[in-house]
Amino acid sequence: MDKRHPSSFQQLEKLGEGTYATVFKGRNSTTGAFVALKEIHLDSEEGTPSTAIREISLMKELKHENIVSLYDVIHTENKLMLVFEYMDKDLKKYMDTYTSPTGGPRGALDPVTIKSFMWQLLRGIAFCHENRVLHRDLKPQNLLINTQGQLKLADFGLARAFGIPVNTFSNEVVTLWYRAPDVLLGSRTYNTSIDIWSAGCIMAEMFTGRPLFPGTTNEDQLLKIFRLMGTPSERSWPGISSFPEYKTTWPVYSTQELRAYLPQVDPLGLQLLGQMLQLRPELRCSAQQGLTHPWFQELNAARAQQQQQGMQGGYR
Amino acid sequence: MAPIITEPSHLVNPLASIAQLETSASQIDGVPRDLEASIRYETGRLNQAAGILLRLPQEIIAQSIVILQRFWTGPDGASMLKHDSKDVAAAALYLTAKPSGHCLTPRQLLTVFAFLDSLDGNYAEAASSKGTPTSQWSLSENDYEAQRERLYANEALILRTLGFQAHVALPYSLCINYLQTLDAFAGPDGSSLAKRAFAHLNSALLSPQRLYLTHQPCALVTASIYLAAREVGSCLPEVEWWEVFDVEREELGFLVVALRSMEGFAEEERRAWGRSRVPMTVGELRVAIADAHGWTAGE
Ligand SMILES: Nc1ncnc2c1ncn2[C@@H]1O[C@H](COP(=O)(O)OP(=O)(O)OP(=O)(O)O)[C@@H](O)[C@H]1O
Ligand SMILES: [Mg+2]
Repeated sequence: MDKRHPSSFQQLEKLGEGTYATVFKGRNSTTGAFVALKEIHLDSEEGTPSTAIREISLMKELKHENIVSLYDVIHTENKLMLVFEYMDKDLKKYMDTYTSPTGGPRGALDPVTIKSFMWQLLRGIAFCHENRVLHRDLKPQNLLINTQGQLKLADFGLARAFGIPVNTFSNEVVTLWYRAPDVLLGSRTYNTSIDIWSAGCIMAEMFTGRPLFPGTTNEDQLLKIFRLMGTPSERSWPGISSFPEYKTTWPVYSTQELRAYLPQVDPLGLQLLGQMLQLRPELRCSAQQGLTHPWFQELNAARAQQQQQGMQGGYR
Repeated sequence: MAPIITEPSHLVNPLASIAQLETSASQIDGVPRDLEASIRYETGRLNQAAGILLRLPQEIIAQSIVILQRFWTGPDGASMLKHDSKDVAAAALYLTAKPSGHCLTPRQLLTVFAFLDSLDGNYAEAASSKGTPTSQWSLSENDYEAQRERLYANEALILRTLGFQAHVALPYSLCINYLQTLDAFAGPDGSSLAKRAFAHLNSALLSPQRLYLTHQPCALVTASIYLAAREVGSCLPEVEWWEVFDVEREELGFLVVALRSMEGFAEEERRAWGRSRVPMTVGELRVAIADAHGWTAGE
């Protein structure tokens, strides 16, 4: 058990503002290294915000190269500040400011970058899931990119360990656009597959530069999804009529070809995307399965080689 | 950058170091070791009873008891002579329940703790719900405001002291896994075996040896199953099956003895305290320490 005492930091410019925190750039007073300081708003009626308790206790356990590192927690009588490794920008800003070397629409990334980001995203998700943690709020603003092109998962304020019994969270919910259909339908038994849905939405967005399903309400979000994926029925999804949000009045859309909607994606990429964007949660691939998809063949091979070299290096 | 390989966090806990077990902030402040152990035991019982009255799942209750133990442990922990232990216990339960999504308002929690406080340690009846219904027990508005402030302050204090290490790996689902692996549910006494094993895991939470701070869940589960099988006379494999679960005979033996001694310890505590109250506030503790030194207050 380690009960540590914090070091001191100099606060620089604001990096971002979230619903429950403000993030500043900071500098470690002793080492001079940059950090990100996430200051939690402490005005609440509930004591220390549960989002903070969850985020900190989970981040302490999750150490991985595709998950942003939590260095320290500064907790005084009236302030709670988390010290994170400094990252250049979030994926949303990255896309907004990106100009593709190969042309292409505003906001869209080039295929090589997308593949690398997706691989890193799935590695981060896989690590969370192996450790029985659901992120639950994956979206471009919560994925951070550094100057070396590394992608890391951030903002674990909604994440939870799934070993502990869950009650539904009515007021804290995943951003609508990346929310899985089963959650939109009112499922309470959701699992790791909800993060995979979000990853699929993010992949499509990186190719087009636009959100895949930009819904405005729960109902509108579902209909936007159905317009592409087809309206599910008891036949295509046994049990769907028992979901709380099921409606017999849904317009019946037929399933569209992903290929037609995303002509810029190569066939293997489309295949992987199709495995992630399955309406039925049990049909979605796992993060681990996604990583072994042939679309990632070169990245996996390069990594295997790197590891081998690393091992040889270790014996020298 | 190579990934840092960690053990899956849902299976392991941070353990207390030898230095942390040897002494504590309370002992440094002058609390005798056995009195400290009694208070630790009593706050654990308090949270178990409160959790049952609040209908919280056992996982949450267990986690809060482990957090309490971490809080009091070691010279870098907190002292019972600086913080009222019953208030800290309430804050530990509050802070565990909150992020789990089990709605628990400060008022519900404080009402239950006020009710339990009135029972002077006879929690057993209350928890079996023959005692006064808690709905008839209510706090005055002034009391409530003050106590809620204290609750938030103690919550922050616990988090700070623990460095936010509030995650606890619990043994319950592991226990089911192990029993399945051992094919224990196939036998006629499978469910009574499971019940006994769970009972041992629960009483181990209250062990003066702080078993959850000194042993990993796999070892606690193995010992609980071993002992439970002895008690219900159920047959487990003849071979040294605990090795499959990475537990050595020596650790198993130690834990079985520790689990067996729980009943005696509880009995001893009951006898030692009789009708008197275990000190659960700084004020009560001061008096108890003075009494132990033979200086009765005021004479
Ligand atoms: N480590 C970091 N390095 C650089 N920028 C960061 C870092 N962490 C966060 N940011 C920036 O601050 C923003 C808000 O951070 P974060 O998502 O953690 O806060 P939040 O309050 O939880 O947000 P939300 O509204 O999603 O709940 C991010 O979108 C990102 O732009
Ligand atoms: Mg965010």
